[in-house]
Amino acid sequence: MASRILLVEDDERIRTSMRLSLEDEGYEVEEAESGEEALECHARALIAQPFDLLVVDIMLPGMDGFDCCRELRKVSTVPIIMVTARTDTHDVVAGLEAGADDYVTKPFEPKELAARIRALLRRARSTDGGPVSLSFGDLEILPEAGVVRRDGEEVHLTRTEFLLLCELAANSGKVLSREQLLERVWSYDYFGDGRLVDVHVRRLRTKVERDPSDPRHVLTVRGLGYKLAP
Amino acid sequence: MNSAGALGARRHRRHVGLRARVIFVFALGALVLSGALASITYFSVRNSILRDQETSLTHQAIGNAVQISGTLHEFFDYGALLASVDTARGSQSILIESSGQLYASSPSVYGALPPDLRSIVLRGKPAEQVLSLNGSPTLVVGVPMAAQKAAYFAVFNLSDIERTLHVLLVSLILAAVVTTLAGAIFGSWGATRALRPLHEAAEAADAIARGRLDTRLEAENYADLAVLTSAFNRMADRLQERVEREVRFSADVNHELRSPLTTLAASLSVLEARRDELPDRAKRALDLLSAEVRRFRRLVDDLLEISRLDAGLGEVTDDEVALGALVQNTVAATGIAVPVSIDGDLAERRVLIDKVRFERIVANLLENARHYAGGATRLAIDAEGDWGSFAVEDEGPGIPESERDRIFERFSRGSSAKRRGAGEGTGLGLAIVSEHARALGGRVFVESNNGRGSRFVVELPLRTSPRPPETNGGKP
Repeated sequence: MASRILLVEDDERIRTSMRLSLEDEGYEVEEAESGEEALECHARALIAQPFDLLVVDIMLPGMDGFDCCRELRKVSTVPIIMVTARTDTHDVVAGLEAGADDYVTKPFEPKELAARIRALLRRARSTDGGPVSLSFGDLEILPEAGVVRRDGEEVHLTRTEFLLLCELAANSGKVLSREQLLERVWSYDYFGDGRLVDVHVRRLRTKVERDPSDPRHVLTVRGLGYKLAP
Repeated sequence: MNSAGALGARRHRRHVGLRARVIFVFALGALVLSGALASITYFSVRNSILRDQETSLTHQAIGNAVQISGTLHEFFDYGALLASVDTARGSQSILIESSGQLYASSPSVYGALPPDLRSIVLRGKPAEQVLSLNGSPTLVVGVPMAAQKAAYFAVFNLSDIERTLHVLLVSLILAAVVTTLAGAIFGSWGATRALRPLHEAAEAADAIARGRLDTRLEAENYADLAVLTSAFNRMADRLQERVEREVRFSADVNHELRSPLTTLAASLSVLEARRDELPDRAKRALDLLSAEVRRFRRLVDDLLEISRLDAGLGEVTDDEVALGALVQNTVAATGIAVPVSIDGDLAERRVLIDKVRFERIVANLLENARHYAGGATRLAIDAEGDWGSFAVEDEGPGIPESERDRIFERFSRGSSAKRRGAGEGTGLGLAIVSEHARALGGRVFVESNNGRGSRFVVELPLRTSPRPPETNGGKP
């Protein structure tokens, strides 16, 4: 069955052309032209057939893309790709911190976006059939069930956060470089944006660490990368 | 760059000249003043000392003469008589009779009497004369003793006074020298102080020229120069405003180009997926459209990149990479095949570098070679100490000497570019290379044998420790 994508973009021409090209890639596409409409669509779809992925433009009238992401994250862990106009530190980092999993910058080639979508959907499925439960001190990870518990209580992670944690857990004690994490979690080549890893690690810490400013599990190894410690 | 350098040198020269002139005037003034003062002091002191000395010595001579004349008839040994008179201040006495017979208290003074003086006094007139005796200045005072038909001469050695005057002269000369030096030092201090605002203005102008547009002069420091500082600051305000407006404008223009380009690219991909369903004429039109949209997109990408570099946006990141892997991955990402030459040790070397900017540099150089020189023949990496050189070589037509600087300017394609491949490049590639190289603390230049290929060399620092934070950023 075709993956369902919600396309949130206020410019009608861009929206229509993107829809056409995404449909050519074999996806089922729905459109929303504002953040509010996107939240409605998403809520409605949850009942019948949830979206597999959202593409959200940052520059929206009314509720902007950042707010839209934040609102979505309150109720969902669905993968979100944001569309930015600039690659400046501020926009990208703000978008990632609002909960986006990845980003593309206008003007992008449809192939580029399709590749990003494929990467997010593929790895979201690849967690199926993973190893058994893993334990790190007060953390318990059940890769197969897609569940993480801290002190027996379930922690809600987005799929990217979950995959990042699983990747670190699978290499427990070993340091993984940004490049390795970008490749394994996001399917990026050598020139992926390291900020993706940094922001996701930060977000992951706020969820799995007791004190995110003094992490015990997700540790930074200066100049090398990150590792997971019990 | 050259004219700015020459201007700087000229400004510097004039600055030093003005300073030197102020110092010279101060020193000269001090010299003239202290010299005049010293001369006046010396001559008036000398005159007064000599006058006093002469008066007192004359009195003594007269006293001695009176004493001698009173007792002259009682003595036969005139030598002993002369020796008995007051010889204070090292004076010697000479008695001379009208017969010409000489008696002296010391034989060394026999030759002290000039004949003129002798005859004047013997004729009954008192007289005195300063002369040199045995190399010492000597005052001879002659007192006639008419009753005895003789003359008495007192001979005084003036060496002490001479010495005193000499010491005075030396002291005064020293004082004059010291005063002159002090004048020069004061002049130098004054010049430095007076020229400081000029100096600061020059530095501020230089800072602005180097791109720090927010540099201003502090108005309250120099009340006298309020007009200059306010004019300078007004100029700087306008310049900054204008530059910022331009940067903003080009960023806005670029931004407005993104939306239609996104639509164009997406729509075109839909059309291209159905190319085979189109009639031949439509196919040809589609191909033209695709090629132009691709070029347009490249142009907008490059313009965006350049305007971001202009605005100083985008930090320079420190990615820790192995050089070999960096180069291999970079070449792979450009999708342009080129033989890479790097030696094993260097390939293993780990450095901190902004890999995205590095990729932009190499990609643009490889594309430049492809568009204008039939493709790069080699990418050669070398290192010397903490500097790496990355050379993209081609066997194209080469670049005439006169164009080797200009090709790094925006939209200034070389003459060969007009003939070949003009429709492919954006005219911004080499400018982008140059800006990125500068942002990374390096530079780019081209070596070329006209007609036998070119070699674009990028030199970059190979750092292993993070840069200090203030040098971060795309702008100096």
